[in-house]
Amino acid sequence: MTDPALSGDTTSATVRDTPVAGSAAQSRSSADETRPRQRARRKHRGAAVIWAVLAWLAALVFFFPVLWMVLTAFKYERAAYTDPPTLWFSPTLEQFQAVLASGVGTTLLNSAFATLVSTTCVLVLGIPAAFALSLRPVKKTKDVLFFFLSTKMLPIVAVIVPLYVIVNRIGLLDNIWTLIILYTGMNLPIAIWMMRSFFLEVPAELLEAASMDGASLWTAVRRVILPLVSPGIAATALICVIFSWNEFFFAVNLTAVRAQTAPVSLVGFITGEGLFWARLSAASTLAALPVVIAGWVAQNKLVRGLSFGAIK
Amino acid sequence: MTKHSTLSRAEGWRRRAPLLPALLFTILVTQVPFLLTVYYSTHSWNLVRPGSWEFVGLQNYLYVFRDSQFREVAMNTVILIVGTVLISALLGLGLALLLNRSFRGRGVVRTLLITPFLITPVAGALLWKTAMFDPVFGIVNFVLQPFGVGNFAWVSQFPLATVMVDLIWRWTPFMMLLILAGLQSMPEDVLEAGRVDGAGPIALFRELTLPHLRRFIELGVVLGAIYLVNTFGAIYMMTSGGPGVESANLPFYIYQRAFLGFEVGQAAAMGVVTVAATIVIAMLALRLIFKSFMGAQEAA
Amino acid sequence: MATIAYQTASCLYEGAANPAVDRLTLEVDDGEFIVLVGPSGSGKSTALRMLAGLEDIDEGNITINGKDMVGVPSKDRDIAMVFQNYALYPSMTVAENMGFALKMRGVPAGERRRQVEQAAELLDLSDFLDRKPAKLSGGQRQRVAMGRAIVREPQVFCMDEPLSNLDAKLRVQTRTQIAALQRRLGTTTVYVTHDQVEAMTMGDRVAVLKDGKLQQFAAPTELYDAPVNAFVAGFIGSPAMNLVPALVTSEGVQLGESTLPLERDRLAALHRQELSSVTVGLRPEQLEVVPAGQGIDVRIDLVEELGSESYVHAHLVDDRGGASTRLVARSHRRAPGRLGETIGLRHGAGSVHVFHPDTGARIDGEEMSARVGTGV
Ligand SMILES: Nc1ncnc2c1ncn2[C@@H]1O[C@H](COP(=O)(O)OP(=O)(O)OP(=O)(O)O)[C@@H](O)[C@H]1O
Ligand SMILES: [Mg+2]
Repeated sequence: MTDPALSGDTTSATVRDTPVAGSAAQSRSSADETRPRQRARRKHRGAAVIWAVLAWLAALVFFFPVLWMVLTAFKYERAAYTDPPTLWFSPTLEQFQAVLASGVGTTLLNSAFATLVSTTCVLVLGIPAAFALSLRPVKKTKDVLFFFLSTKMLPIVAVIVPLYVIVNRIGLLDNIWTLIILYTGMNLPIAIWMMRSFFLEVPAELLEAASMDGASLWTAVRRVILPLVSPGIAATALICVIFSWNEFFFAVNLTAVRAQTAPVSLVGFITGEGLFWARLSAASTLAALPVVIAGWVAQNKLVRGLSFGAIK
Repeated sequence: MTKHSTLSRAEGWRRRAPLLPALLFTILVTQVPFLLTVYYSTHSWNLVRPGSWEFVGLQNYLYVFRDSQFREVAMNTVILIVGTVLISALLGLGLALLLNRSFRGRGVVRTLLITPFLITPVAGALLWKTAMFDPVFGIVNFVLQPFGVGNFAWVSQFPLATVMVDLIWRWTPFMMLLILAGLQSMPEDVLEAGRVDGAGPIALFRELTLPHLRRFIELGVVLGAIYLVNTFGAIYMMTSGGPGVESANLPFYIYQRAFLGFEVGQAAAMGVVTVAATIVIAMLALRLIFKSFMGAQEAA
Repeated sequence: MATIAYQTASCLYEGAANPAVDRLTLEVDDGEFIVLVGPSGSGKSTALRMLAGLEDIDEGNITINGKDMVGVPSKDRDIAMVFQNYALYPSMTVAENMGFALKMRGVPAGERRRQVEQAAELLDLSDFLDRKPAKLSGGQRQRVAMGRAIVREPQVFCMDEPLSNLDAKLRVQTRTQIAALQRRLGTTTVYVTHDQVEAMTMGDRVAVLKDGKLQQFAAPTELYDAPVNAFVAGFIGSPAMNLVPALVTSEGVQLGESTLPLERDRLAALHRQELSSVTVGLRPEQLEVVPAGQGIDVRIDLVEELGSESYVHAHLVDDRGGASTRLVARSHRRAPGRLGETIGLRHGAGSVHVFHPDTGARIDGEEMSARVGTGV
């Protein structure tokens, strides 16, 4: 799919080589020769420009809603509702101040805590498991992998009722640790799959070489294997962070006030007397910001993680 | 001989040990609640009516299958998943192809494109409902104004479709990332060989690129479906499943039954039916993912 | 310094029908360099990995210095291994790679650095000590792998095709370096290769494996002079020995029209076994090109010119068996004949090898069989 660009390059090289000066006859003949090439080049270049413009357009269409949300967050409530929509307005931090004053800070902290602790748990449980399913495989590795993946097929809704009852009975309703346990369970299967794929890329001989060098299994893993798979582990962690931070179903059903997370806190802004869109936008922006920035910074990791290590 | 086999048994346990915590944890968090769901589904139990706990056998299931709303909701769920996955895979493929050539600002374009996938789903749903689809102030109507669209109420006229728009917006970047990764892992020499053999751009795409991308598209479809089965926030925020149950999916409907209607037994039975249906579909999907991934990894 | 003994050691991979290494018995002397050779899949790597403790010994035993190795983890065996793909630790520098085993043993950093530098000097690696393996050439990586092994001063070196990733020229060069290094260090070494030239040039003794079974364990010259069976005969030597069917006559064996005479006691042995036909082994380098009629008459199919010598590929002119019997001869002359020309091949110095037509076992006269080593 890259040939227009490639052949565009080669033609341009040939064109540059043709002499500019010379007798009239010569230059005419060379012009005759190059005209089709130039035309081809122009066509390719034109096509390339069109594709680039299309790509930019698509990006703007997809990004526009987000941009609009961020812009709205800096508007006064009055400017948020106009017909036609206004792009030019006098910005204000009033909405952010109001949102922060209304206690969004706590929910952001709750989200951060649940996300970080559950991701750590996923890594602590998942790294050894991924190891046991790849470099030193247990028997029935396939069955275990199948089991892990099949738990992801279990719709969460099928377990929400008993979870609610259990959590209620043991008094962990509206407790952040409930979410931590559930997020760990939610992300663990996928994380094990991802990390396994990274472990599989490590040649098993490295482990053997280390053990011949007198390293215990633990030392060999820590000194030799983990440095190699750490980019993959980081990718996995990032994906766990995204899914935990954005999780809504468990959070809305199992928390109320104390353990409320950022996504749930957004609900609070629509109830009450009407909808304050500018304020809601500010709250949404705050809730989305951490993960968006993390994802932007580590996009390559995101791709690696999502492709289950199929891409180096 | 016996000495050796006991040794290898010890080795077996040494290998298994690192796996066990994760395995036990997963069983505890997913399987035990599910078994309880099955148990509850055979009881009539209303959370707000004390003493309503009673064994009713399969009565809840009968109720579920007679419930025409449940059937409608199940259908909605299928439409939602299949429609979203297919459309976002197609769009994702197109975007990936656009991004797979070098041009000015490619990195920025990619960054902008992946943003919807990162945005908190609840915020995204609110955004579509208010900023985009609002009949009076929404951007969509503003853009369509020249085409004679007035103050059209998208969300109440096409509730399921507007939810899908939000989901497609979210999942297209995901598909794009996967497919783009696939494109970039395509070995250049294979394409060159194809070009030497006289294949044009379209033939190259169809005969070489697309088969190579198949694994990645399949993976995207399966992963997308796994997460889309659990769609909740978008519906909760945009339509509340309404009007009626026109835009409700199974998670939302069961949520309504359990947490708004407090009918735990019925909700549990629906959960079990959902799982049964998912398992049937999932087996096919799992087979797919296993075939294309285990195979590839072992070949590699 | 160590002696090694395999005692009917076997390894059966899970799910495999036949053992990858089948009742292997070998005794390696202290300081000896032995080579395990055989075709692909013959169990060479498995045998080596059993010694290194990377593969279970399912039956039998392996001892090092008389000590039973069953159940001893590889880290406690004091063995260094050079892997085919080197298995260098990618996240560590060359110096860290080489010093890792010492570090594991708790050798203090200064002492470690000294030993690593010493080994680096020996292997001409001093300039690369701070580089990561990814930034080295194939040959340099190979030397780092060697360095990692020698720094430890282990009891035993294990090497699994350590040269197979090098180009032909470097391979020859490194081959002699490794052999010289081993002589100098005097460390007992087990070396795996599928290349019979490596086996012949490097090993004090060579063990030939096939399908997990030991065929012959002997010094290179003995393998060449007296292969115990047709397999070893065909495997050792390049170009490979001609193994052709022949009829037994009263004076010897008949190839085409001509007869190759055999000693009396070998003929007696053949008659004792009531064999009317046998497999005859003729080394190409022992066949001399002569004018037609003066030896075994053959027609030339192909002549390979190597510059210093040439290989003549030919088939028997009068082949009563029907299937045309092919022979290869090595000639020191250029262009010993043209394509399609009939020439004679005379068997020169050295003995004709005779093998049983079905079992492939070597058939010797009385006094010879007393000399040939054990095997099988
Ligand atoms: N991990 C394994 N599981 C099952 N069978 C194996 C395994 N490793 C090797 N084998 C089998 O054991 C036999 C011997 O293998 P081994 O690796 O020792 O051969 P080799 O002589 O080293 O060959 P090569 O020269 O190709 O490296 C082969 O038939 C091989 O298929
Ligand atoms: Mg091998």
